Amino acid sequence: MKPEPPSAQPPEGPARIEDEAELATRARAGDRAAFGRLVERFAPQARRVARAVLQDPHDADDAAQDAFLAALVKLDQYDPRRPFGPWLMRIVANAATDRRRRRTVRQVEPLAPELTGGGPRPDREAEQSALGDRLRAALAELPERRRIAVVLFDVEGYSHAEIAQILGIPEGTVRSEVFHARRRLRELLADWR
Amino acid sequence: MTTGPMTPFDHRPDPRLGEALRAALEPGDQAAFVARVVAAAARPARTLDVLATWARRGLAAAMAAAAVAGFLVGRGGEPATIPEDTLAPTSAGAASIALVTAARPPDASVVFTTLVNGSR
Repeated sequence: MKPEPPSAQPPEGPARIEDEAELATRARAGDRAAFGRLVERFAPQARRVARAVLQDPHDADDAAQDAFLAALVKLDQYDPRRPFGPWLMRIVANAATDRRRRRTVRQVEPLAPELTGGGPRPDREAEQSALGDRLRAALAELPERRRIAVVLFDVEGYSHAEIAQILGIPEGTVRSEVFHARRRLRELLADWR
Repeated sequence: MTTGPMTPFDHRPDPRLGEALRAALEPGDQAAFVARVVAAAARPARTLDVLATWARRGLAAAMAAAAVAGFLVGRGGEPATIPEDTLAPTSAGAASIALVTAARPPDASVVFTTLVNGSR
């Protein structure tokens, strides 16, 4: 379920890990094209995870960029026998959390009354956009770790074990966070069909 | 959001919720972002970044030096003993020497007498 740009379909399974390890090794040796490939491959999920933390898309992109640059510096710490994604997502989550802590100006807007249910149903043209607004607002109500956990699990397709590694928490806690996030999101979106 | 058999307890990703969240979090122009990151990686390190790197290295070097110094000091063993002669006041008499070299603490009156005799 991990997203990829249509132009760059990577291999799957062990071949994928090998491919990522090869790209990481080349990037570490100064191969800019290899680094570009890694960025291209992981940018969509890095930006989504950062946005789940920060809400603001510009802040999220700044955090995702910080994460990629930090990853480039730390590439010697990456174990090439393991998937690159969880290692990178841990850096992304930390970068986004750090940026959120430093941020003082932009604040999360509370859920608008029309987004909490009972408001007029938007027409079909605006439906998708309104659903997006509503989901983002619903996500913003969740605790940060819960938000990251549900996005990594339901959107990015990471396993509970991988998310536990990314967030540095026990696997059981990840299951609990995903469960509570789903329940809350479904409550907030109950009247949406 | 999701109907059907999936519940929050499910250990499988929820495709409907996932798709909706993905659409809600979908970032903008992917190619522009990739170009921006690659360009940033190609730029020389900023002065502050370089200084920060130096500061980290300096801190590490200071810690290493402190550890080495601590090791060398600890390795020195017992402090050098001071000969009893050096403890004895040069201007005092035998009473003062006996006071300093005594095995047990002296009585207060002995100390007083010694001080009075020494001041004469």
